[in-house]
Order: sequence, then structure tokens, then C-alpha cells
Amino acid sequence: MSEHDVPTIECDGLSRVYGKDGSEGGVRALDRLDLTIRPGESLSVEGPSGCGKTTLLNLVGLIDTPTRGEVRWDGRAVGQRSERERARLRLTGVGFIFQRFYLLPTLTAQENVELPMRALGRPSTDRNARARGLLDEVGLAGRYGAFPHELSGGEEQRVAIARALANEPGLLLADEPTGELDSQNTLQVLDLLLAARARRGSSLVLVTHNPAVAQRAERHIVMADGRIVSDARGA
Amino acid sequence: MRRLRLIHHGFQMAFAVAAVAAAVALPVVLLSVGGGVSQHELSVLQNQGFEVEVTAPGLHGVQGAHGLAGRIAALPEVGSASPVLSSAIDVFGPTGGAVPTLAEGVVPEAFSAALGPSERPLFPATLPIGDPSDSGHFDGGTYQGPAVDDVVVPSPFAQDLGVSRGSTIWLSPTAERSDAVAFQITAIAGAAAATLGPSATNALVLPLSDLQLLTGFARSNGTTGALLDSADTVEVVLTGAASTEPGAVARVASQVQALVPFYSVSTLADQVGQAHQATAVLSGFYIALSSVGLAVGLIFLALVLVRRVETERQSIGIERALGVPGRQIAAMMAGRGVVLGGAGTAAGLVTGWLVVELFGRFGSASVQLAVGYAVFDPVTLGALALAVLGLSVLASLGATRAALGLSIPEALR
Repeated sequence: MSEHDVPTIECDGLSRVYGKDGSEGGVRALDRLDLTIRPGESLSVEGPSGCGKTTLLNLVGLIDTPTRGEVRWDGRAVGQRSERERARLRLTGVGFIFQRFYLLPTLTAQENVELPMRALGRPSTDRNARARGLLDEVGLAGRYGAFPHELSGGEEQRVAIARALANEPGLLLADEPTGELDSQNTLQVLDLLLAARARRGSSLVLVTHNPAVAQRAERHIVMADGRIVSDARGA
Repeated sequence: MRRLRLIHHGFQMAFAVAAVAAAVALPVVLLSVGGGVSQHELSVLQNQGFEVEVTAPGLHGVQGAHGLAGRIAALPEVGSASPVLSSAIDVFGPTGGAVPTLAEGVVPEAFSAALGPSERPLFPATLPIGDPSDSGHFDGGTYQGPAVDDVVVPSPFAQDLGVSRGSTIWLSPTAERSDAVAFQITAIAGAAAATLGPSATNALVLPLSDLQLLTGFARSNGTTGALLDSADTVEVVLTGAASTEPGAVARVASQVQALVPFYSVSTLADQVGQAHQATAVLSGFYIALSSVGLAVGLIFLALVLVRRVETERQSIGIERALGVPGRQIAAMMAGRGVVLGGAGTAAGLVTGWLVVELFGRFGSASVQLAVGYAVFDPVTLGALALAVLGLSVLASLGATRAALGLSIPEALR
């Protein structure tokens, strides 16, 4: 799989149990979940707190390993690979957007966007230009040198979106990306995210509590107790 | 809250740097001063004017010193043999109480012949303390000849005592003035602490027989028991070319040993070798002592680095979630270790130097003298700095392990 491929992602019998070394006595966050995300698809995941939405995102994004089952990218089992291999896949293939933005507080907006590119070893002139271009794209031209504490919530999330797009990943994973934003910023950030996805043809998994946000995706999944209880397409 | 965290973080870093600095300052002081003193002792030894030395166990253990020196001097390839008795005595000047010091009893002509190249200019060419062979007063071991009672006084001591050439001072084996004997100062010797060492700098030089009689290491006629004629050493000077030929030195040492089978006979080469060994042992001791301090400092550094991972677990979790490779995180931790270790090392080098300077200014006389020999060897200090930097990288391994062992979902929670 090349760096900019958009993979088909399959979750096959995915279970994640927390505590007691993942044994049956722990908390079951995901329960034998099956899901296929086709290339370029946008998918919203809704459900009550604790139903396993974030756990699903973590497993699909390879920052957690399943207790049982497998995650496949284009048919290749990747969920149980070594942390080194999964880190490489995350770096090149996944863009994360978190509810609390998770920008590094000691870095400027531009440096935050450059972080994934630097980790990939891209030359500084190249990543410098690309980081500025991405910040321009999300409406933060001229705010390159601002530190996270100097930015509003909406601006921080825009930086996070720019960072997620830095290495042109095939898969964007957004965990409540508008959860800490007001309604005006919610709309703006959502528009930016969907537009960026559409331009690049990436897949998008959007975890949200907000039905209005969920409706903007092409496919809607509802989860409860670690399982998918509804999977529908269209508005 | 953020400000408090930054202050707390700053304190941790400052303590880590201070711990490493303290750990580095100790070996800087020990190695520079200790190494300097050892180097000085070695150079003094290498600067001796004699090639073979006779010593005996016990206090002033060489007995029959005049006779023995004569027999050794008669050996082929031997230029002269100088018996030396060193004894602590008390000195009374024109005013004031007893001043303890060291006296060296010597045979004048033999003593002059055994002086090293840098010692020779400090003394008059002919030592003006009675007859050159010290035979008049010794009088074949009866001590019935006329006592000379001349003394050469080193310049700092003369200055302290307020005396000069021609003055009379009183030498006593005890702190009692009633036991003292009057001596006339016939010369003031130059004194260079760097050449003679701390004790010899203030040593008085007088005829061997006078000092033996004064201190009781000879018995005058009429007393019972054997005549001791004691000395501490007999320094043997070889003639011209023989002095630089190892075979000749060994040959003479062997002949001297045959004369005195129960005494220790060593060559200067032996002594230099022993001094080298002693220096190596001392250096090992300094390094062992320093390594304890370094271990404590680096453990502290390691703990601070691990603690920093704890406080930055979310940032590290974010970086790992984004896919930053483990080796980059390890490099970041090692970089932190090197920066803190490097800052501590720099501070430690400066602190060590400052401590030596302070000792040099405000320490006791003997401390000042020792500190005066301090050598800040760039190779030694560079090796120390490199070792600390290497160990700082090792100290960062715990932090690296903690950072890479973080559960990303938990770190982001």
C-alpha cells in the first residue's frame, strides 16, 4: 500500500475488553463488531457515551489493539502488528482529529502541522511550504506563528485538521471534532473537514453525538453496547 | 495553573542540572588537585640528584650512618653517599616561643653532591656548616670533636622568625627552651615550595652529627650503650656516565645491598615506578569516589526525565498517535538527557574550578599549597565530560522506556 492509497478497511469480529489483561472479566467496549469502510466513504458513528465509538476509532486508527478479531487494510491484517509497523501506518495512512484538538502546547500552529511531516523525514523547506499551504486552506493564513493558547477553539481545531491532512492520509478519523465548539464554528469546521476529504478522496469516520453533524456523512452507523445496531446510507 | 506547572518543571530541571553539576565538581576537584599533587611528587622524585637510596625499617633506622656512607662511597662507580637524618625539632628565635619545624642533618659535601638540578640553585655551592665531611665533631664516632652549631635556614622561615645570616637561634628536641642549643645562622637558603615540597620548604639544614646529638640519635662518650649514628636514608650518587646507565645503577644497587642485606636498597627508577603505581591507585580511588557521586547525580537525572514523561504523557501520547516513530521519541529523550547532563557538566566544571580557586585563597596553608599544584588537564576533563554525557544518554533510557510504554488511548484520555 502506497502512502496516498485510500484503503478498504475491514473490521472482522472486533472485540476490545478493558481491564484484567483483556480477559472476559473486564469491561467489554466492543463486542464482535463487523464493519467495512470503503475507499472515499464518509461515515458517521453515533451512539450513547460508553457504547464503544472511540474504541472503534482507536482500533481502526491502529492506536489500540483488539482483544479479539482483526482490522484489515486492503485485505492485509494490520491490527495485531508490531507498534513500529502500526506507527508507520498511522503516520502515512491516518489523519486524527480529536475532540480536544490535542495540539502540542510548546509548538506553534505551523510546527504542529509540520510534526507528522517531520516524523516522516520530509525536507524542511517542503514541509514548511506545505504547512503554510494547509493553514491557508483552513483559513489560518498569517497565524502560522501562533501558539495553541493564543488560538480560539475553532482555530485550534482548524490547525488540528491541517495537521491531520499533512501527510495526505487515505483515512481521516475524527472523534467528536465539533464537541467543544459553538454552533457557528461547528458548521465552519465541519465544512472544512468535508471539503478537505472531498478534495483528496479520503475516507472519513466521524464520531459524534450531534445528529446534525452525523447527517453530513454519506453513511450513518449507530452503536450500542459495543455493537452496531443500525447502518444506513443517505440523509 | 500552567504557570505553576512551568515553575515546577523549571525547578525539576534546575535540580537535575545541580545534581549533575555537584557530581561532576567532585571529580574535577579530586582529579585536578590530587592529580596535580601526584604529578608534583613524581617530578620531585625525577628531579633528585641521586640514583640509589638506602632506607631501613623503623624510625631513623639506618645506623652507623657515617661509616656506611663511607663504605658505599668507596664502591666503584659511586661518586658520593649522603646520609640524611630528618627530625622534628622546636626552634626559638630571639623573641617568642617554640616554633616546630623539620631539621635535616647532613654531611655538607655529600649533601651538595646529591642535590637535584632544580634544588642546587637554592643552596650555597659550599654548604657553610662546619667541615665538609662532618668528621671533626663526629670524631670517629665519639662525638668528642668540637661541635659546629651552624645552621642554614630557608628564607620564608627566616622571615617568619625575624632572623638573618649571623643571627643566633636555639634548636631544641623538645618545646622547652632549657633543652635548646644555640646555633648560628651561616646562610639563608632560597626556598621554592614547588621544588622542595611543603615540608622541605621550611626545613633547617645542619651538620648530621649536630642533629644526631641534639635529638638523641647519637650518644656522646660516657653514656652507656652502642653509638647509634642514626639516619633515615643514605642517598647514593653515581659518577658521571654511570648515573644515566641503567645497568650501572642496578650494579651499584646490588653492591650496596650486599653491604647492608637487611636494609632496603631502591633505585630511582624503582621509586618512580612505585610513584606511578601509587598515582594510578590514587586516581582509581578518586574515580571510584567520584563514580558514587556521579551515580547519584545520574539517578536523579533519570528520575527527573521519567517524571517529565509523566507530566507530558498527553503530548507524548499525541505524538505517538500521530505515528512519530519510537526512535524519534528515544532520540528526543536522549537529547533531553544530553542537554541536562551537558548543562550539569559545564556547571560542574566551573564549580570544580571555583572550589579549587576558593581553596587556594581561603584554605589552610597546607590546603593552599596542595591546591597550588592543581592541574586542569583538558584531556582528563574532556574524558570526564564525555563520560558524563554518555551516562546521561543511559540515564534517559528509563524515560524512553516509559514514553514508549505509554498506552496511547490512556495517554489521550
